[in-house]
Amino acid sequence: MSMASTLSVNIQKRIGRQRLRKFFLGSIPFLILITVWHLNEVFNWLEPVFIPKVSEVWEAFFILQEDCEGFSAAIALDQSCMMSTHILSSVGRVLLASIIGLPAGIALGIFAGMSRPISKVLEPIGIFANSISGIAWIPLAIVWFGVGWMTTLFIMLNTIFWLMFFNAMMGVRSIARVYEQSVLTMGGSRWDVITNVYLPGAMPSIISGMRMSMGFGWRALIAAEMIGGDSGLGFMIFSSASEFKIEEVFLGVIIISLIFLATDRYCLIPLEKWTIHRWGLVWKPH
Amino acid sequence: MLLSRNNLNRFLAFWRHFSGANAIHLVLVIFGILLVWTLISHALENPDRYLPSPIAVALSSFDMVYEGLLPSYFGDTIGRLIVGSIFGLALGIPFGLILGINRTVADMFYPMMNFFQSISGIAIFPIVVVWFGNSDKTIFIVILYTSFFPIAFTVLSGVREIPMKYIHAVRTLGGSRFQIIRDVLLPGSLPHIATGSRLSIGFAWRAVIAGEMLAGREGLGWMIFTAQDVDRTSEVILGMLLIGLSWIILDHYLLRPFEADTIERWGLVQR
Repeated sequence: MSMASTLSVNIQKRIGRQRLRKFFLGSIPFLILITVWHLNEVFNWLEPVFIPKVSEVWEAFFILQEDCEGFSAAIALDQSCMMSTHILSSVGRVLLASIIGLPAGIALGIFAGMSRPISKVLEPIGIFANSISGIAWIPLAIVWFGVGWMTTLFIMLNTIFWLMFFNAMMGVRSIARVYEQSVLTMGGSRWDVITNVYLPGAMPSIISGMRMSMGFGWRALIAAEMIGGDSGLGFMIFSSASEFKIEEVFLGVIIISLIFLATDRYCLIPLEKWTIHRWGLVWKPH
Repeated sequence: MLLSRNNLNRFLAFWRHFSGANAIHLVLVIFGILLVWTLISHALENPDRYLPSPIAVALSSFDMVYEGLLPSYFGDTIGRLIVGSIFGLALGIPFGLILGINRTVADMFYPMMNFFQSISGIAIFPIVVVWFGNSDKTIFIVILYTSFFPIAFTVLSGVREIPMKYIHAVRTLGGSRFQIIRDVLLPGSLPHIATGSRLSIGFAWRAVIAGEMLAGREGLGWMIFTAQDVDRTSEVILGMLLIGLSWIILDHYLLRPFEADTIERWGLVQR
């Protein structure tokens, strides 16, 4: 057996045939796309104003980062480090909004779900707030906070908060009352009910709300940065488009997609699976 | 479709909602919100700029209806949503079916679809603007792009979830490939098509609003954006309320009953 075939058998054993097959099949359309993109550059089918060169997009990353003085300047969101500043300020807003919005939304949602009459009253508010959440708030946010950090943070926070609130509330409401009553019968306090029944029972709903809020929030954040921001990836692609620097737009769009894919694939989906496995109520009393 | 039983039930439930004890809840909530809103707006120094009172918003709505602007903006937005999402669905459903039928094709295109789906429609907006300028075409392409992926993904998973025994049954009885598609895969994935359509239209609705703001074409999104520019906050709030209300009506009284109908009629309940 030759070297190459031994190697290939080893790789197949290591990674798994199905995964390898999926990987190679999945890479075919990307390769075709990049080839066509490159051919466009060779044969000039479309103007370079509309489709940039592949190499230009790659280089744009380094050109934007060129004037950066070093790591400390990049962390301090210095204006000279354009690329890292834009990425970090977008990601920072997501983190900040989730740190504030997730606990607040979950806590208020569970609180609202605890009393069924109150949750019935709050349900229409939740439905309404969710249906205008995100993009429609941008003009009002600009009026209130001006253009900048606050507006974009507000939009993201708004989207996350209402989705979490609604999901936590509905999650608590969907728990069978038997559990709550049994804890109370056994002499548990209200707090015991919250920590042992409501929180774990609503967990699957909360986590899927988290995934949804990232999806909607990231979109809303990009739109908010375009319209009412002064930094961030959305701002970058929008201002580059108005200067017809199409290569920067392509770069920004690819980075936006990659960030979202990475968070979804490596944080939220595993979290969701784990939660449903750990906390999901498979057994339901009749 | 519109006059189906579920829809009628929905309407009756809605009617009971307003005539029973629940109505008192809803009215109380609305009054409470209006009261708090009025109080806050009176406490502010410059309410016309930051938070106009509900009365000011109502007056501005009369104004805009009188001028005929509001109906025309509303019609524009809804028209864009309908046309854009019809094209998106018409492309997405067959694409999802093709991917669902053939596993190799699905494995090939799934990663690329995932990649393009996570570029939200709003993010490709700057590129489309460079290509087509600030026109209606731009908004339609953005809507089409946003509504294409959710439906394609749900149809794909719908086709995958059809139990193999139905396909085997048709094969055993000597059915052709076309018959399998027509008699098993298409009806079997109908519930998912309904769910996906609702999802797609939801994303498309947000894309319409954002697209109108960014491309500057007349509509509800454009209305709230320009009103903010000229400091007419009451119109901004009016537009927001309208956007929220029309989505609730669209979702709860049209799309959800339609979805429930489809699932009830075509859903495969496995025993």
